[in-house]
Formats: sequence, C-alpha cells, structure tokens
Amino acid sequence: MQKIMVIEDDTAIQEELALLLENEGYTPLVVTNFTDIPGQAVLERPDLILLDIGLPGRDGFSLCAALRKAIPAPIIFVTSRDAGVDEVRALSLGGDDYITKPYSVPVLLARIKAVLRRSLGEPEPADVLEAGELRLSLTKGVVSVNGKTAELTRNELQILACLMAHAGQIVSRADLIDALWDNQIYIDDNTLSVNMTRLRGKLAETGLSNAIKTRRGMGYQL
Amino acid sequence: MTLREFLSDRLGRIALWLVCIGLALLFLFATGTQPGVLALLLLALLLVFVTVQAADFFRQRTRLLELENILESLDRKYLFMECVSPPQNLYERHLFDLTRRAGRAMTGAVSDAQAAQREYREYVEQWVHEIKAPITAARLICRELDGKTRRKLMAELAQIEAHVERALFYARAENPEQDCLLRQVDLGKIAAQAIENHRSLLIQSGVRVETEGLDCTIYTDEKWAVFILGQLLQNASRYRGTEPVITLSAKPLGKQVQLVVRDNGIGIPAHELTRVFDRGFTGSNGRSRGGSTGMGLYLCKKLASFLDLGLHIASQEGEGTAVTLTFSAKGNLTKM
Repeated sequence: MQKIMVIEDDTAIQEELALLLENEGYTPLVVTNFTDIPGQAVLERPDLILLDIGLPGRDGFSLCAALRKAIPAPIIFVTSRDAGVDEVRALSLGGDDYITKPYSVPVLLARIKAVLRRSLGEPEPADVLEAGELRLSLTKGVVSVNGKTAELTRNELQILACLMAHAGQIVSRADLIDALWDNQIYIDDNTLSVNMTRLRGKLAETGLSNAIKTRRGMGYQL
Repeated sequence: MTLREFLSDRLGRIALWLVCIGLALLFLFATGTQPGVLALLLLALLLVFVTVQAADFFRQRTRLLELENILESLDRKYLFMECVSPPQNLYERHLFDLTRRAGRAMTGAVSDAQAAQREYREYVEQWVHEIKAPITAARLICRELDGKTRRKLMAELAQIEAHVERALFYARAENPEQDCLLRQVDLGKIAAQAIENHRSLLIQSGVRVETEGLDCTIYTDEKWAVFILGQLLQNASRYRGTEPVITLSAKPLGKQVQLVVRDNGIGIPAHELTRVFDRGFTGSNGRSRGGSTGMGLYLCKKLASFLDLGLHIASQEGEGTAVTLTFSAKGNLTKM
C-alpha cells in the first residue's frame, strides 16, 4: 500500500482526508507535530506528500525545499492560496503539482494517482474493460460481444465505461451525468436519454438487446 | 489672468490714485502753479503709475503661469505645495506656508486612507483563504452522504464558494497589478476549470455545455480568465430559458483569439444592455429572478480592462445572450 503523508493544520481536513485516502486504498500518515517534518518524513518514507502552504511555524514553501533534500517522494501542494505567483513559486521549488482548495474530491484523487504513476513508473490504467460477455476497448472506442463489434461515440463510450465499472450495481442518472462531466462531456438529462437509446441500439446490434436494464426511479443497471 | 480681471481687481486702488492726483493738481492750481507745468506733472505721474501697474500685471501673470505648469506636470496633484518654487515676497511666503500646512494634513489623510484600504484588502484576502479550509472540509464530509442530499449540499457549497470568489476578486481588482501573471495558457484548460468550478449550478440547472475549437493557446492570467468565464457561465445558467444550452466557441483572429460564450436564455432588454457592466446594476431580469448582486459583470469589465482583454456583450430578448472575449494569442512584452 502506498503511503501518503498529509501535512495540513486544519484538523477537520486532516481527519476527512485521512478517511478518504484510507477508503481509496492508501495509507495516510497525518502529521500532527509540526516540528522537524523533514525528519519525520525520513523516518516514515512516504510515497507522496500532500503539503499545505499556511502552516504553523515554517511555511510550505521552505518546507518543500527541505523535504526535497530529505527524501525523493513527489510533493503535491494543496492550498487555499490561489494567486498565480504562489503556484509558480511552488512548482519552481520542486513541487510536482498544485491544487487549490476547495478542491473537488475526484480531481484530488485523479491528480494523486497521476503523480504517483509518474514517480513510481506504474503502468497506465487498463485499456480494456470487461463485464460478463462485454469487452470495451477505451482507446479504440469499440465494444465487442462474442466476436461481434460496434463502434461507439465518445459519449456512448463513457456511459458504457461507467456502467461497466459498476457492473451489477444500480447507477443513477445523476451519477452518470457526473461521470460524464468528469470526462469533459457536458450533457444534460435529455441528451443522456438520447445517448442511452443509441447505446442500447448498438448493443442490440451485437446481440445483447437488453444488457442495460432500466430500474425505474433509481437508474440503470448492467 | 486676463488684463480685464487684473484691472477690475485693482479698481479701488486705481480710483484712489486718480483722486489723489486730481486733488494734488487742484491744490497746486489753486496755489498758482502754471497750467503748462501742471499738464507736464500729470503726464509724468500717470506714466509712473501705469508703468508700475503694468509691471505688477506681468510679474503676477508669469508667476501664475509658472505655478500652473508645475501643477499640470504633477501626477499626484496634492503634492503641489511640496514642488513649487520658493515664494517671492512676504505675503506669498505666508500664503504658501498656510497652504503647505493644509496640504500636509491632506497628504496624511490620503496615506492613512490608502493604508486602511490596503489593510482591508489584506484582511479580505486572508479571510477568503481561511474560509476555504472549512469549505474544503465540508466537501470532504459531503462525500459520505447519499446521492441526493450530497448533491444539494454540494450545490449550496458551490454557491458559497462563488460568493467568496467574488469577494476575493473585488478586493484584488483594486490593485490588480499585484496578482496579475500573464502566461501562455491553454484555452481549453481555462474553460474546463471554469465549468468544473460551477458544475453543480450548471448540472442543477439542466444546462448542456458545448465546446468548439478551444484547443488554442492564449496569453492571459489563468485565474482571472477562469473567474471571468465563471461569471459568464453563472449568468447563462441563472437566466436560462427552456432546454438551456451554453456554447463556448473559439476562433483565431490574427494575433488574437475570440471566445464567444453564447446561451439560449431569456436575454437582456436592449435599453439595459449598455448598463450591465455598471456596478450594482441588476436590471429587470435580476429583479424578477432574484439572486443577482450586480457585481459579476462589473468585476469582469474591471479585470478585463486591466488584462487588455476585449469584452463585448450582445443580446436579443427571448433569444439569448452572446458575450465575446478577445484574448491576445501572442505574448505582449511591453506590459508587466
């Protein structure tokens, strides 16, 4: 499990962030004693550091420089200071990324994942999703069922990917819209219905006519 | 100062002189002085009198012109008394002394006011940064709630953030040069960020956002551009019609990139269109729908003019509104 060190002085955020990271399968290391943080980092050897700028005692900038010398772990600045100059300074001091508060949780997790992947040289996420008889190639945008294939548009691809990632569970329309907006597809409820009908049509062509079930009042289920 | 003004100012003195000369001549005439001598005397006295007055007039006029030029050349006019040439006579010296003392009191008041304003701005900025910590915590806590409540709370939090953001930029707009950082940025990234920031409002309003040709680079301050775009998105979703669609389309135009934010909302009445950038102007739409502060577009205009960014609005009532932002696509090294 990858260790993530959280250097943040707001106790509510400390707690919630630790919970979130734990749920996502990381080991959070919350710093509670703000003296000699580089020393603590050397002892704990985290894989990634989340660093606030406004801290008691020493500020995040000088801490970043000290941490850089102490350990090789990548550093993501997480701060409420949003002036462009702060960001430039943070990145020039060796920060790997800069996220401003209040961040959205998916964005924070995605950036943590990306930085970890870069620093640990982890493989890219799987290109092919599988659920039952369905095989979905994300880069090619092609779905195949027992050798029969159908090409999907960007919207259809993301809808199917979201349903396949939660195969068996009910995914609400609002969750689907959220997932699409995460991928920069800014559609509304009506457009989702249209895309859903088209996606079902394409799945029917491959022989799976009722793979996506409508659960009235709740959402869709694969 | 004209000759006429000078003469009318000295009317009393001139009249007194003339009466005195007249009386003297009358006295001399009565005591038996020759009329020829009297005429000569009169001429001589008048000559001396006119010369003295003329010299006075020209000296005063040159002095006034000199002072006027000094004032004209000053950037901060209230420092005038610190820059004038030394007084030429006793009266002027006393007058200068008085105005200088008044001026000093004024400069003190001005610098006090500036310091107070700076402190206030710093406090607002600090406050905004502090309020962001609990908002962040609240967002993290929201994650544990179920779908519907989470979405409602997230939408409310987004509203708070939007208000906080406006306060921050209002404070910053007073001294924009302190925060502005012109850089090469990707327009698509700016648009995605602005949409992400107002995502709750947009989704809740049932808005569909279409983007077109945003893959170009521009020179601007990223944070400010995101803020301006965010205000436009908020307006578009607040004043939406049925089946709302917002289109963000960009096209290169020589050394510039034009971004058009178009909506199919309720539009703005033609007679209000010229005033939408005024501070506190809410218009009939704002009054009928509520929730308008009249600050969004005012701030946009203020920041845009500092960024040298073109901001133009066109609207048709019942049809929709289109705001055109003209960004520079080339680095402008003369500024900053």
